[in-house]
Amino acid sequence: MINFTINGQPVIASQGETILQAARKAGFYIPTMCYLEKTTPCASCRLCVVETDKTDGLILSCQTPPTEGLGVTINSERLEQERTNIMRLYDVNHPLECGVCDKSGACDLQNKTLEFGVSAQHFSAKEQHRKIEHWGLINYDPSLCILCEKCVHVCNEIIGDDAITLQFGGYKSAVIPKNSEKLDCTFCGECIAVCPVGALVSSEFQYSANAWELTQVPATCAHCSAGCSLMYEVKHTSTSNASDRIYRVTNDFEHTTLCGAGRFGFDFDHQSAKDPAEFAKAITAIQKADAVRFNSLITNEEAMILQRLKEKLGVKLYNEEARAYQNFMSAYSSISGKTGFGGSLDAISQSDAIIVIGGRISTDNPAVRYAMTTAARHNGAKVVYMHPLEDELLQNVVTQFVKYEVGTEEGVVAMLAKTLLSHEDISEEVRAYFDGLDEGYLCAESNVGDEEYARIAKSIARSKRKTLVLGSDLLHHNRAMNIARLCAMIETYTEFSVVVVAPSVNTVGVSLICDLDFDKGGDSVIGYNAAGNYTMGSIGEVMLNLPALNSQEGTFVNINYQVLPTNVAVAFRGYTLNDIANELGVNAQHTIDYTAALPITKGFNGSSFDNLGNFYTSLGEDTRGYLLENSDVEANGILEEVENLPEFNGTVVYRCNPVNQFNGYTARTAQLEKEAALRGSAQFAAAAKIGDGDKIQIEFTGETQERIFKLDAALKGTIALIPAYDVAYGALNEQYRFEKVKIMKMGSES
Amino acid sequence: MSKVYFSTWRGEQINNIGKSDDAWENSAYNLPLEYNEHAHSKAFIGWDGVALFNPDVDVVRLATEYAAQYQVYSEACGRCAPGRWGGRILYDLLDKIARGEGAVSDMEHLKEVSKTMQETSKCEIGKTVPNPLLDLMTHFESEFMACIENQKPSKHYHMEDTNYIAKITAPCMDACPAHVDIPAYIEGVRDLRFDDSLMATRQTMPLAHTCGRVCPHPCETECRRTNLDEPISIMELKRLGADYETDHGFGFFHPSEQKASIGKKVAVIGAGPAGLTGAYYLALDGIDVDVYEELPVLGGEVAVGVPEYRMPIDKYNQDIEAVRSLGVNFITNTKVTADMMRQFENDYDATLVATGTRISKKVYCDNERPEIQGYWGAIDFLDKVNLQVKYDIMVPEADQKRHMLPADFVDLTGKTLVCVGGGFTSMDVVRCAIRANAKKVVMLYRRDEKTIIKNTTYEEYHEAVEEGVEFIFHSAVAKMNDENDVLKSLIVDRYELVPDPNGGRPNLEKIEGASFEMECDYLIPAVSQSADLKLLPEEWEIERTSWATIKTNGKDYMTSRKGIFAAGDCEYGPMTIVNAVGQAKRAASVMSRYVVSGEITLSDDEIMEDHLRKLKVYDKKEKIQGWLPGLPRQHSEVLTVDERRDNNREVKYGFTQEEALAEAERCMRCYYIAMVAH
Repeated sequence: MINFTINGQPVIASQGETILQAARKAGFYIPTMCYLEKTTPCASCRLCVVETDKTDGLILSCQTPPTEGLGVTINSERLEQERTNIMRLYDVNHPLECGVCDKSGACDLQNKTLEFGVSAQHFSAKEQHRKIEHWGLINYDPSLCILCEKCVHVCNEIIGDDAITLQFGGYKSAVIPKNSEKLDCTFCGECIAVCPVGALVSSEFQYSANAWELTQVPATCAHCSAGCSLMYEVKHTSTSNASDRIYRVTNDFEHTTLCGAGRFGFDFDHQSAKDPAEFAKAITAIQKADAVRFNSLITNEEAMILQRLKEKLGVKLYNEEARAYQNFMSAYSSISGKTGFGGSLDAISQSDAIIVIGGRISTDNPAVRYAMTTAARHNGAKVVYMHPLEDELLQNVVTQFVKYEVGTEEGVVAMLAKTLLSHEDISEEVRAYFDGLDEGYLCAESNVGDEEYARIAKSIARSKRKTLVLGSDLLHHNRAMNIARLCAMIETYTEFSVVVVAPSVNTVGVSLICDLDFDKGGDSVIGYNAAGNYTMGSIGEVMLNLPALNSQEGTFVNINYQVLPTNVAVAFRGYTLNDIANELGVNAQHTIDYTAALPITKGFNGSSFDNLGNFYTSLGEDTRGYLLENSDVEANGILEEVENLPEFNGTVVYRCNPVNQFNGYTARTAQLEKEAALRGSAQFAAAAKIGDGDKIQIEFTGETQERIFKLDAALKGTIALIPAYDVAYGALNEQYRFEKVKIMKMGSES
Repeated sequence: MSKVYFSTWRGEQINNIGKSDDAWENSAYNLPLEYNEHAHSKAFIGWDGVALFNPDVDVVRLATEYAAQYQVYSEACGRCAPGRWGGRILYDLLDKIARGEGAVSDMEHLKEVSKTMQETSKCEIGKTVPNPLLDLMTHFESEFMACIENQKPSKHYHMEDTNYIAKITAPCMDACPAHVDIPAYIEGVRDLRFDDSLMATRQTMPLAHTCGRVCPHPCETECRRTNLDEPISIMELKRLGADYETDHGFGFFHPSEQKASIGKKVAVIGAGPAGLTGAYYLALDGIDVDVYEELPVLGGEVAVGVPEYRMPIDKYNQDIEAVRSLGVNFITNTKVTADMMRQFENDYDATLVATGTRISKKVYCDNERPEIQGYWGAIDFLDKVNLQVKYDIMVPEADQKRHMLPADFVDLTGKTLVCVGGGFTSMDVVRCAIRANAKKVVMLYRRDEKTIIKNTTYEEYHEAVEEGVEFIFHSAVAKMNDENDVLKSLIVDRYELVPDPNGGRPNLEKIEGASFEMECDYLIPAVSQSADLKLLPEEWEIERTSWATIKTNGKDYMTSRKGIFAAGDCEYGPMTIVNAVGQAKRAASVMSRYVVSGEITLSDDEIMEDHLRKLKVYDKKEKIQGWLPGLPRQHSEVLTVDERRDNNREVKYGFTQEEALAEAERCMRCYYIAMVAH
């Protein structure tokens, strides 16, 4: 702790905190134009200069930690003069096009110009003519750019794309794509979010609305299990259509980060009028049904309604994705003695060692990727990525890639646990279990040698904050339960905390709320956003339309075990699941009446929906919803022997969505790219006897798909990537993600 | 001392304009009066003032051109609002005045913008560019006002009679023999752009892993932060970029794209730091390079001299691989002879000799006969240790016998080893001897503790003491005692410093009667090394220095024979890695022009580099403004004595990311622009 004063008042800074951070915490205002809380200081605007009693010149508060006893002055005539002059410089030749600029009304340059009373151009410099760049979803206007570098910092330090850089050129400086002509990135759009002026804008949104016309609806992103906070910004559709439409999505970029799917994939709402005849059919169908099959794109409240319907009508509930997660976690708890795992996205971003196993993290859950990037850049984290497929997007994050054979996860996790537990205080029995592993066999079959585990141990030896990230490949593995137990050993007996990356936005919530049954099919199954004899929902061709998740209020549980509220961006005029439930005798006025009824035994706290916070404070404190209680349970689980490791020979595909694609919602948004090809290496093409651009037919166990094959130079080996988001009720999250397939060439694309 | 018409350099106020010759006052600084052998300078202008060497200088144009440089040297600017816009405004307004279109209010605006830049800019360029401009506007106000009042261009505005040559520098860059762009690589760390950091280093220094570990960092002695509190830990911050490249398995981040082959060939003799550096920059320029190395391994003294615990070979190999990745051809186990050199003159367009100094000098004591067993030159001793530790190349049987080793590696169990030295090599010897399990290890040094620290580093000395090395200061070996040519003991003389009654340097004088006998098994002379230059054909009559190294002019590194260049220790005498790198980098640059044109030339950048070094960029008297003093220098963790003394684990862990960022944040980006008009 460091004691110092600001304007004579005592202030305390913690170790590593800068004068600016301490000032803000203490409620002092120091102006900035380039400061971004979540990145290292850009230090380009110089507005945050302050005076001190130990220096002659002005010092920069954003990058300077205070020293003990320092006296800082943050307002004085001299500071005001220099700050005003900086604003005068910022205003030199800034185009006077606020009338049509997207940023107008929410522009830092406008705000600060007004704040410092710069009413005319005080200095002059030669005008430059500069070309506007069109980079797909993003446009860049260098003449509006104030070169604060926020975009560059966030792209490199948080996202990890490292796709833009500053072209130094004094007055001619500009932001340019790094190492390529055109912007080549994952289009998260975070650069747009952090841009304080109108230089980086969404090409689709540009010129469509003024900032002050839009209503902000705080909500939770529905696309993956991170449950990121976002703002749907809505206004009437047009002069002839008064109904609301979502114009864009924004985020509280100082404290949160959003991927491209969250930012650009917002228009998945659909509309329907009430059709009483269809409603009656739905009621009859449910009354006769044996089971309701549903996916995890559902709120906790709707999951609760389904659970009540089960209790009332005796229907079974099918959701293989959530059931697998449930089983995994119950096995996990049987060793850890806790209902949940101990890690979180924050824990990942604060780690200095991360091991990831069993998932294509960068596209499965971009928030986990961003947390890993943050850890890698800011903490120099050692990142071990264990998977059968290398991931190009993670190259600048991963420090050790460990490739294992498809299907051998149990053996790999067992060896990993053995490695990490080798110096821990474990019982004789457990020690004997690990000593008894047939290392030679496990290493040979999984193709991961002793030396790779030794290297892991060595590289994390000095790490203090460690996280183990478990991907969704593990959830549907034949040996998922034992894998869970082995992973639980790691969390229980080492310093590692664990995060299980659930597949969908509310897999966790459903697994806690619903008493799920093994899906054995049946003749009368209701499909709610899933296959069935009678179908309803908001995804695919359904008989009864129900609201999409951006037309619903309710809550989700994300991978932090945090209950997160979401709100209605666009009102839905048709029926809701609650209407159906009321008709069937499960009564509640509103869907959100169930929020308070979520099971306390599972860690929910009984709060009603209207009591849930949904924002970050200006200092970054997360007030959204609440954390589930992670309570103690009996730890009576026993490790099972590792089974013989399976072999996957021939052509194998891996279910894995392209960047920014997740599900039936993202599949139908206007802006997101819809890559649908099977992508594989040259080696895969040779093994499958197909070539780039061929039209092919793929046979899985149980289904047949037709796709185009594309050669992907970034891939190696005989495993191809097959998207799942574009199949309405895909198997991505319901089966082991690798599958041996038959591939037939049907023709050529051209 | 320089003869000038006018100077405000470093605050001096000299104005000889209009004065008679005997009233002239000289500048106290080494200003670049002669640009090169072809041109006299007219003026010098920089961060700390301006000097005129010619009465006819157009000061308005000079000011304008200096402001223009700020735009040109954009790599270092454009990063902050005051610098970016302020710099442009300075130039636009000065040019407006110079071309005869200025207004009186422009002078006021210039002063106002200058003040904001001086107070708030991000780096010293932005803060200091206004300094000489304000000097000129103050001392030559009438010339500016004449342009404004008459609305006429300045006297030379439309003449192309003057060259304006500018160069960016910084105190640390100037002090570094390789002139590494230190502020840029530290900025890369601060901005978490480690690839940029490494590329900044590699512009002039290919051995980033190495010089992030074993550089004596002269830059830190001339770090401007010293004037405020403590110098930046410059050396260690170099590791972050190198580790980023290595840890993530990227290819190699070269500072620029390699040029396509230009069909020229160069031979480099010696694969040590100088040879590797020369090869790297020649190859980047599209020249085919063959490197000849006598040893079976690459890396020279850093590989076989510097021990593993200081410089892990896997890291050094990364640096070597970066050189190899440019297509450099390495030929090992090949000792180049005079005959081969003669042949090279036909086969190659130029040759770079970088053979180092690998002959251990004698200690000059009685009975110092090389045939005595137990007498073992430091270079050979370290060769044997390192070849085994790093490459598993065992000690050959003959050498085992010669050096009384019980096994095929250097095992000193039960033995006493005495080393005579005081520099890095001797430190390496004694610490390796500890690791070879010697019973007792003694270092004899003629001078005192303070001097040994100055000649090596504080850490190096203290770590050796911690590990159990006994230092005997003010001592020297007088005689070796042997039995049947086996070393048994030494007679050691003691000395004391006797102050010079005339106030000069104190003298070392032998203390009579204080000599003592000391039993020992090995005496390792590590006082200095000399160069083996037998490869130079005698008839070439290549000039030598008085220290028996190869003579060059220290600027272009060509020997007295055309096309034969020399760099590193064989040119300078035993010196640092970074010195070898700096020389070889310069030699490579000269050579890559030479193989095309046949001319020996220096680029403007190189000429300016040499001028600035002579002038010295660092000013230890400067008072620092705009930075808060008292932020402590970070120190990385070191293995404990018990963890390190019996093995070869790297002693220093290197910075954690947190330490590195805190350290990088202390860097003040002391870039400056200097410009000569000639």
